[in-house]
Amino acid sequence: MTQRKTCLIKVVSHGDIEQHPEHTVLQALEAQRLDVHYHCREGFCGACRTRLLSGEVDYVIEPLAYINDDEILPCCCRAVTDIELELA
Amino acid sequence: MKYTTFNQVNNDALQEPMFFGNPVNVARYDQQRHNVFEKLIEKQISFFWRPEEVDVSKDRLDFQKLSESEKHIFISNLKYQTLLDSVQGRSPNIAFLPIISLPEVETWVETWSFFETIHSRSYTHILRNLFTDPSAVFNDIVMNDEIKRRATDISRYYDDLIFATQLWQTQGEGSHKTEDGSIYTVTMRELKRKLYLCMCSVNALEAIRFYVSFACTFAFAERELMEGNSKIIRLIARDENLHLTSTQHILNLWAKGKDDPEMAEIAAECQDESLAIFMTAVEQEKQWATYLFQHGSMIGLNKEILCQYVEFIANERMKAIGLPLQFEVNGNPLPWMNNYLMSDNVQVAPQESEISSYLVGQIDAEVSADDFGDFDL
Ligand code: FES
Ligand SMILES: [Fe+2]
Ligand SMILES: [Fe+2]
Repeated sequence: MTQRKTCLIKVVSHGDIEQHPEHTVLQALEAQRLDVHYHCREGFCGACRTRLLSGEVDYVIEPLAYINDDEILPCCCRAVTDIELELA
Repeated sequence: MKYTTFNQVNNDALQEPMFFGNPVNVARYDQQRHNVFEKLIEKQISFFWRPEEVDVSKDRLDFQKLSESEKHIFISNLKYQTLLDSVQGRSPNIAFLPIISLPEVETWVETWSFFETIHSRSYTHILRNLFTDPSAVFNDIVMNDEIKRRATDISRYYDDLIFATQLWQTQGEGSHKTEDGSIYTVTMRELKRKLYLCMCSVNALEAIRFYVSFACTFAFAERELMEGNSKIIRLIARDENLHLTSTQHILNLWAKGKDDPEMAEIAAECQDESLAIFMTAVEQEKQWATYLFQHGSMIGLNKEILCQYVEFIANERMKAIGLPLQFEVNGNPLPWMNNYLMSDNVQVAPQESEISSYLVGQIDAEVSADDFGDFDL
């Protein structure tokens, strides 16, 4: 197992956040007290749906909620490269 | 086209649309045209719960302590939810099953409806605990004007689709005169339009119609009141989230042309109507908040904040199906709601409460010291 590296999450008009390797994108945003909507935190409700402008994520739980091609579910994914997000 | 319970046409289910193709024949799930429905089925089954596993006995004492206006809020919400789940426990089966063409969609609808019946049964469980005879509450559901108005709007699109489908299945496309002398014209295009609008209405129901009631329930729970009820409603809310995901998938598969291409045209054609269906539901939810608080509000909630919450939720849900946003909202006005809508916080913990009929513990729950007589510990 390779060590997960620390990735940067750039949030449009909020600045950059470091993602702790064990954190989901949602947890990383919350650690900065950014207000992201959520319900289930398990990938099935879609409440946390967020636009991904660049970069890549991988899912810790398989996402079930509907998302468009340019969207992610922060509650159940982690950044694997530096990413750029646009919060609603 | 006549419905058949086992279509003998040797069709390739992977080529069928979700609706209005060949009737389903072999119930197989090793291959799916839209595998999300198979995943939804698995997820929903993993959520299985029984109302009786949740101890609501303490709620009875809490209920006595509520003010009259709070009792009105609590009971009215239960009535409205009973209506919603009465409709949802049968209608997807009756309206959709006869026209579904994919086994995974068929089984999803059956699984979904089954869970709605669990919800219905849980209202009986809650009410039986509060009242020796809950009849008055149930009877009022078909008498209460506020509830009836909503029932009309919710069942209308289902009823329309069901009736048109029946005409089509018995008499085919064309103009048909019914018993009362009315003439109906049935075309496949019109059937699909009715299906589309019905799905929009179900989506709006699952998306926002429960949320005013949910907010009240969780506002009581924030004050450590009616917590048995709140536990049940959390389980219900988790299921409703999944149902909503399924209707969002269906609407998006259509709109993006990933299923029946004609449905993509219809989706584009019906955008205004689809928006109107959503807005009516939002309006009715706000009116419901007004009705709930007519005798006074409750601690932690009032009409204004509840209406803001409806608008906030509505915006989120409309975004998900590509509708233009209608409301100016600044974030979630009831952030504590999220704690109750979280999935991993919901646990049915039978060992904590007194249960008369816990499924797993039923056999040989009583083990006496003698049973271990031969063991050396
Ligand atoms: S919070 Fe439900 S999908 Fe992310
Ligand atoms: Fe339900
Ligand atoms: Fe539902």
